[in-house]
Amino acid sequence: MNNILAVSSVVMREMYRRKDFYVLLILTVLITLILGSVNLFNDSNIVRYLKEICLLLIWVSSLVIAITTSARQIPAERESRTIFPLLAKPISRTEVLLGKFLGCWLASGVALVCFYLFFGLISAARESGWPLGSYLQAVTLHWFMLAIVIAIALLGSLVFAAPSSNNTICFVVIAGILLIGRHLHKVAVGMEQPSRGILTVLYFLLPQLGWFDVRERITHNWPPLDAGPFLLALVYALVTASVFLFAASWVFNRKRLQ
Amino acid sequence: MATVINISDLRVEYPSRELGSKTTVAVDGLSLDVQQGQIFGFLGPNGAGKTTTMNVLLGFVEPTAGSATIFGVNVTDKSARQRLGYLPELTYYYKFLTPEELLRFYGKLFRIPKALLEKRIDEILGMVELQEARKRQIKTFSKGMQQRAGLAQALINDPDLLILDEPTSGLDPIGRMKVRQIIQRLKNEGKTILFSSHELGEVETICDRVCIIHRGTLREMGTVQDLVARHQCNLEQVFLRVVGYEGAAPHRPEGVTV
Amino acid sequence: MPPVRTNVLALGGLVTAAFSLACALQVAMPRDERDNEPFDLMQTLLGDSRRMFADHFFVKADAYFHSGFYPTIFDNRESFETAHMASDAGVVEEKNKGDEHSFLGQPLDVFDKFSRNFFPSVHTHMDEGGADEGHSHAGHDSGELKEGHFVGDGHDHGHEEVGKGVREILPWLKISASLDPSRVDTYTTTAYWLRSRLSKSDEAEQFLREGLRRNPRNPAILFELARIYREDRKDAARARNLFEAGIASWQKTEPAKKEPNVFLLHQLMSHLAQLEEDANNDLRAIELWEKVKQVAPDPAGPDLHLRDLRDKLAQKSGQQ
Repeated sequence: MNNILAVSSVVMREMYRRKDFYVLLILTVLITLILGSVNLFNDSNIVRYLKEICLLLIWVSSLVIAITTSARQIPAERESRTIFPLLAKPISRTEVLLGKFLGCWLASGVALVCFYLFFGLISAARESGWPLGSYLQAVTLHWFMLAIVIAIALLGSLVFAAPSSNNTICFVVIAGILLIGRHLHKVAVGMEQPSRGILTVLYFLLPQLGWFDVRERITHNWPPLDAGPFLLALVYALVTASVFLFAASWVFNRKRLQ
Repeated sequence: MATVINISDLRVEYPSRELGSKTTVAVDGLSLDVQQGQIFGFLGPNGAGKTTTMNVLLGFVEPTAGSATIFGVNVTDKSARQRLGYLPELTYYYKFLTPEELLRFYGKLFRIPKALLEKRIDEILGMVELQEARKRQIKTFSKGMQQRAGLAQALINDPDLLILDEPTSGLDPIGRMKVRQIIQRLKNEGKTILFSSHELGEVETICDRVCIIHRGTLREMGTVQDLVARHQCNLEQVFLRVVGYEGAAPHRPEGVTV
Repeated sequence: MPPVRTNVLALGGLVTAAFSLACALQVAMPRDERDNEPFDLMQTLLGDSRRMFADHFFVKADAYFHSGFYPTIFDNRESFETAHMASDAGVVEEKNKGDEHSFLGQPLDVFDKFSRNFFPSVHTHMDEGGADEGHSHAGHDSGELKEGHFVGDGHDHGHEEVGKGVREILPWLKISASLDPSRVDTYTTTAYWLRSRLSKSDEAEQFLREGLRRNPRNPAILFELARIYREDRKDAARARNLFEAGIASWQKTEPAKKEPNVFLLHQLMSHLAQLEEDANNDLRAIELWEKVKQVAPDPAGPDLHLRDLRDKLAQKSGQQ
C-alpha cells in the first residue's frame, strides 16, 4: 500500500500543477454565470435550466479530466523513460498501475468536489432549499463512475499505441455507453438475429454507467435514492473497475519494456 | 570478495520485426560475475545487447533462458532491487516535481524512515550540487542538472550496487567531470558499479574490470591492464579489434568464459 | 534580419490592403434580399436546421413539465405525441393515445429494472406541484410506476407557490421560439403559463406581440392575446376585437388548408360567445353559440348555453 500511495501522490501533484483542471473549472463557472445572467421573463427564480447546464458541464469536464489524466499516465512514463528508474525500485508493475489508478481517482474526486461546490452555490443562490443528501449522493455516484472510466482509460493506454487514439476511443466508448447503453436491450428486442444476440450480449457486457447519472433527479429536486440501490451501485462500480484493472495489470505485466 | 551480480548462460529473444524471421536474439549465452566493490565497465557497440542485459538485471525484461541474480536474489523478485540504484540513459524525470519532491517520492518506495530520508535528501543534493535548485521544478533544469538529479535518485537508498547506463552521455565537459567525480567518490565508499559507456577513455580511467560484448555474446573480459597488455594497444583499439573493425577477426584469448 | 520598423510597416501595409479589398468586394458583391433582415445569430449558425433544434427544446420544456419523467426515443411515445404542457394549456388539441404512466413498459431484465431507480420514474406535472410534491405523496419511487398525478404543497415553497414551478419550462420555450419564430405553439404555450400560474400577464403579452410580429395576424396568437385582455385585464372591448380579429384571420387562412385547425376556431368562438354572454349581449351570444355548435366535437355544451340564453330572453320578454 505504501508504494501505491507514493505513486498516487505524484499523480495528484501532477494534476494540481497542470492547467487543465483550472481551465475547465473557470470555463464551467463562466458559462454558467453568463447563462444565469440572462433575463427570462423578469423571473429570477428560474434555476433548473441552469442546474442542468452546470451539471452537463461538470460531467463533460470530469470525463475530460479523468480520461486525459489516466490515459497519459503510463505512455508519458514510457515516453520520458521515467518508467525505468521507477521500476528499478522495489515496486511491482501492479503497484505502479494501482498507484496511477488511485492517484487519478483521488485527483478526479478533488476536482469533482470543487465543481459540485460551485454547483451547490448556484443552486442555493436561487432555490430556498439545499438538498445536501441528494448532492452528496450525486457526487459519490459520479466519483465511483469515474473509477470505472479511469480503469478503462488505463487499460486502453496499455493496449493502444498512441495516447491520442486511446483518448478518442475512450471518449467515444464512454459517451456511447452513457447515451445509449441502457437502451441497448430495447433496441435489440426489435432486431433480427444475429444482430439481436450480439447487441444483447453487448448490453450485458458493457459497464452500466447510466446508473451513476442522477442528473435528472438532481435537476428536478427528486429525493435522494434509497440506500439499497445506492450502495449496490457503488459496489458494482468497484467490482467493474477491478475487472478492468485486473486486465490492465495482466497486460502491463506481460509487456516488454524497451 | 562476495559476488554482487551473477549472470549465467543468459539468452534473450525478442519477436522479430523482420519478415520471415520469428525472433531476434539480443543476448546469447552470456555469463559473467561482478564482485563487490568493483567498477565494472560494460562495453559494446550500439545494439550489442548491453541495455538488454541491464534490463534483465533490473527486471524489465524476462530472460528466455539462463538466470541472473543480484546479491543472490533472482532479478525477477522485486526485493532484488532494494539495494540497487539505477541511472538510465537520457531520462527526463517528472518535470512538474522539484528534485527534493522527486527524491522524497523514490525514498518512500524504499520505505526509508521520514527523518532519515530528509537527511539523505540533503546529503545527496549537496553531493550532486543541486542544493540551490532543490525547490525548482525539474522542467527548468539544464541537461546536466537533469542528469545530476538522475544520479541523485539512483543514490537515494544508499545502494550497494549502482547500474549506470551511459551516465555522461550528452553532457558538456564540466558536466562529465562532475559525474566522474561522483562515481569516483562512490567507488571510494566501496560501492559496486556496473557502468556502460561509449567513452572509452573514461572507462579506462574509472573501471577495474571491463567486458566487451558484440552481437549478444561476450567477446572479451578482464582488467583494463590485462586487455591492453594482451592486445598490445590502448582500450579503444582493443574495442575496435574485438567488434571486427580494422578488418581482423575478433581475437579470443583463452580463459574467457562465454 | 529586417529591423522592427520594417516589419511593422509591412504588416500595416498588408492589413490595409486586406481591409481595402474587403470593402471593395462588399460593394461589388451581388446583394441578397436577406441582407436587409436583422442579424440572427441562430439563423447564421444553424440555417434551417435550427427548426429541428426548436422542436427539441420544445420537447425539452415538456420534459421539464414532467420533472424529467419523459420517454426517450427508445421508449413508447404514443402518450407524449402532443406535449402535455401545450394540451393542458388548451393551445393545442390533445391527440395522445395509450397510458402516459407506463411508457417504459415492463422491465426487460434485471439491469433495466435496477436502472429505474436512478432516473425519475413517477408521472408528475409541474403545474400540480411537480417532483417536489410527487415524492412526498408517492412515498419513494423505486422503479414502480404509480397511477395518477401528484398534487400537493411543496415542502420548499409554501402553499401559494404550488404550480409556480412551471416557470422552469420557460427558458427552453424561449430558446425554442428564438430558433423557430414560425412555431406558434411556443408563443401560446409560454403565454398561457406565464399569465395563468405566474401572474405575469405583461410578460405574456410582450411575448405574444413578439410572436405576432413574426407571424402577422396569426389566429392562435390573437386568441391568447384576447384571453389576456378578457381574463387578466377585464377589458371586454379589446378582448372582443381580438377574438373577432382571430376569427376573421382563421376564416381567411385556415379553410384553404388540407386539415383546418377547427379546434382553434371552436376555442375562438366559444370564448367570444362566453364574453358576449357575460356582457349580456344575449342575441349576439346566441348567434355565436349556434356557430360554436357547428364546430364543437360535442354539441351538448353549446346547447346548454343556448337553452339558458333562450330561457333568459323568454323571461325578459315575459317581464316586459
